[in-house]
Amino acid sequence: MLAVKGLRANVGGKEILRGLDFSVGPGEVHAIMGPNGSGKSTFAHVLSGREGYEVTAGSATFEGQDLLTLEPEERAQLGLFLAFQYPVELPGVNNTYFLKAALNSILKARGEPELDAVSFLRLIKEKLKILHLDDSLLKRAVNAGFSGGEKKRNEIFQMALLEPKLAILDETDSGLDIDALRVVADGVNALRSPERSMIVVTHYQRLLDYIQPDVVHVLSKGRIIRSGGKELALELEEKGYGWIDAEGQAA
Amino acid sequence: MNGVLPNGFESWLSAAPERPAGVGPDWLDDQRRVAQEQVRAQSVPTSKTEDWRYTSLKGLLEQGFAQVDESITALQPDDLEEILIPGLDSHRVVLVNGRYAPELSVLGDLPKGVRLGGLRALLDADPDALRERLNRIAGDRQPLFLALNTAGLDDGFVALFDRAVMLERPIELIHLSVGMDEPRVAQPRHLIVLGDGAQATLIERYVSLGESLYCTNSVLEISLGRDAVLQHDRIQMESANAFHLTGLYLSQDANSRYRGVNIGLGARWARTELVTRFRGEQAECDLQGLYLAGDRQLMDYHLDVAHSVPRCTSRENFKGILYGKGRAVFDGLVSVARDAQKSDAAMSNRNLMLSESAEVDTKPQLEINADDVKCSHGTTVGRIEPEMLFYLRSRGISAPLARRMLCLGFAGEIIQTLSAEALREHVSEQVGQRLESAPLN
Ligand SMILES: Nc1ncnc2c1ncn2[C@@H]1O[C@H](COP(=O)(O)OP(=O)(O)O)[C@@H](O)[C@H]1O
Ligand SMILES: [Mg+2]
Repeated sequence: MLAVKGLRANVGGKEILRGLDFSVGPGEVHAIMGPNGSGKSTFAHVLSGREGYEVTAGSATFEGQDLLTLEPEERAQLGLFLAFQYPVELPGVNNTYFLKAALNSILKARGEPELDAVSFLRLIKEKLKILHLDDSLLKRAVNAGFSGGEKKRNEIFQMALLEPKLAILDETDSGLDIDALRVVADGVNALRSPERSMIVVTHYQRLLDYIQPDVVHVLSKGRIIRSGGKELALELEEKGYGWIDAEGQAA
Repeated sequence: MNGVLPNGFESWLSAAPERPAGVGPDWLDDQRRVAQEQVRAQSVPTSKTEDWRYTSLKGLLEQGFAQVDESITALQPDDLEEILIPGLDSHRVVLVNGRYAPELSVLGDLPKGVRLGGLRALLDADPDALRERLNRIAGDRQPLFLALNTAGLDDGFVALFDRAVMLERPIELIHLSVGMDEPRVAQPRHLIVLGDGAQATLIERYVSLGESLYCTNSVLEISLGRDAVLQHDRIQMESANAFHLTGLYLSQDANSRYRGVNIGLGARWARTELVTRFRGEQAECDLQGLYLAGDRQLMDYHLDVAHSVPRCTSRENFKGILYGKGRAVFDGLVSVARDAQKSDAAMSNRNLMLSESAEVDTKPQLEINADDVKCSHGTTVGRIEPEMLFYLRSRGISAPLARRMLCLGFAGEIIQTLSAEALREHVSEQVGQRLESAPLN
């Protein structure tokens, strides 16, 4: 589904990703862990096509298509979704209007019929329930004045609505209390399917108690330095990132 | 109306053949004569004139506008179809090229104590009703375009509310411009008087049939009695080739409330002057504004809000979206007199620039002579935030649609202050359409 090879990228003239190899098959859930500043968000942004991230080498293909030449909206239309570490506030942009524009843009790009107002509303009400979100959210501006937890839940809510093929969750757990974490994890788990893959980026292994990954990767200084099963996450938790960094240096 | 004006505006005042000077009440003719002299005494403002520093009159003068000298009578109610806003239920007064058009107007049932319609008709029927009200607020020493309007004062819109009268449905004033063979200037004069405790909503719209070249120089006098409340939605959607001037002179008695929402989308050159005078304490004046300035379009706003008595509140909140070679001017003055303690004023002008070549000159000013006041002002000139754009695009939304959504989000704060849902939808749609055809650079 996703194949990344030898990916190097600069941000602000500084090399952040330094030869990253990574691949995800259909229905798989991969966790990426790593210390702050190791390049996790940079990787997520490069995959989604954010401006200002200069790819200098390597490739990234999504279902056989070259991702790196596509506009961000084209990637989303193909089925890529990024749940932001820091969801952006859009004052004045109504949430319902935004969700409808997003869903219909994606349907249109795929040549599917757009949803009318009634069936759209029915659909979002259903998805809201999954994330224990209140209807009033729909009347508000996108993320504007939302609490940290509401913002994260709103990201997963959007994912539930847009039904991507590959979702990247960038530290969706950070800043959530245990109850909110459970709601978010339940939402994510409800979306797991044999066709949908996920990349769960996290700093702590806590989230992985709720979302069971197939593979855990450790990212350090812009490179995957270790991959393994769930036990790798526990080992990291126990020994700390210093352990990995020391090994990374040695490698 | 004889005598040559030395400043290029002679043709604005060439005698209207249908209504030679002297027709109508003497007092009005005297006022016209005084105004004519005031016009004559003034020279054309130049870039050295403080109020006109950023706005040139050259393009306007080059057109050689002449006064409208014939009534358009061929229009049928059907011709209004494309102009009416679906779902807006109003008492409708239509003016065509500055003249009241009773055949197009639908006044509907009016309660006792409300007089609504054409100014000339009321002048003919009951001149005494206007004697103490017309040309009062605007003051004695009239600036050029006000003096021109007064010198040619002939017709317009009038709404008189007796004390404590309330009107449930909005009044809709449609000023329709129809192009003539020669470039014409219409100078409608509007008078709105709310007695003590009266309440009304007025929707004032400037529209055109076709994209013709003409000029509108409208003047509004609004007087609010004690405790009176007026919501005033103003939507300027003149033809893309038109010139538009508005002078709005507002007088507010104690405890009255005024909210004006100024939407400026049309005309190639538009200047709006909003002048507020508080006559009693605890009055509130809320001026909201949204303007779009597209390629080679000028939107020019001048605000003059004088807190001359204590305990009044004013808000001046203007937002602009500029693209192509669009230009805007915001010149806002809030002044607080020495005795006007506990004045509360907040002025803000925020601009969203969609192109490198657009330009805005913004000059908010506070002149405060009292010590116990709450006054603030702020101004911003910014661009669309790249992370906002990326967020929308990462959800599958195309870049042009994402930009439009962000612009409408920016504009939404002002649009939502309009009085009716049908109107908010209408304006959002118009803003969206203009942005859709806007060049991105
Ligand atoms: N816009 C930017 N300009 C310059 N440096 C950046 C920018 N964004 C991130 N970085 C740098 O890139 C490195 C990786 O950041 P990031 O990908 O956010 O790490 P992580 O998500 O793993 O905490 C950090 O050193 C950070 O300072
Ligand atoms: Mg990060």
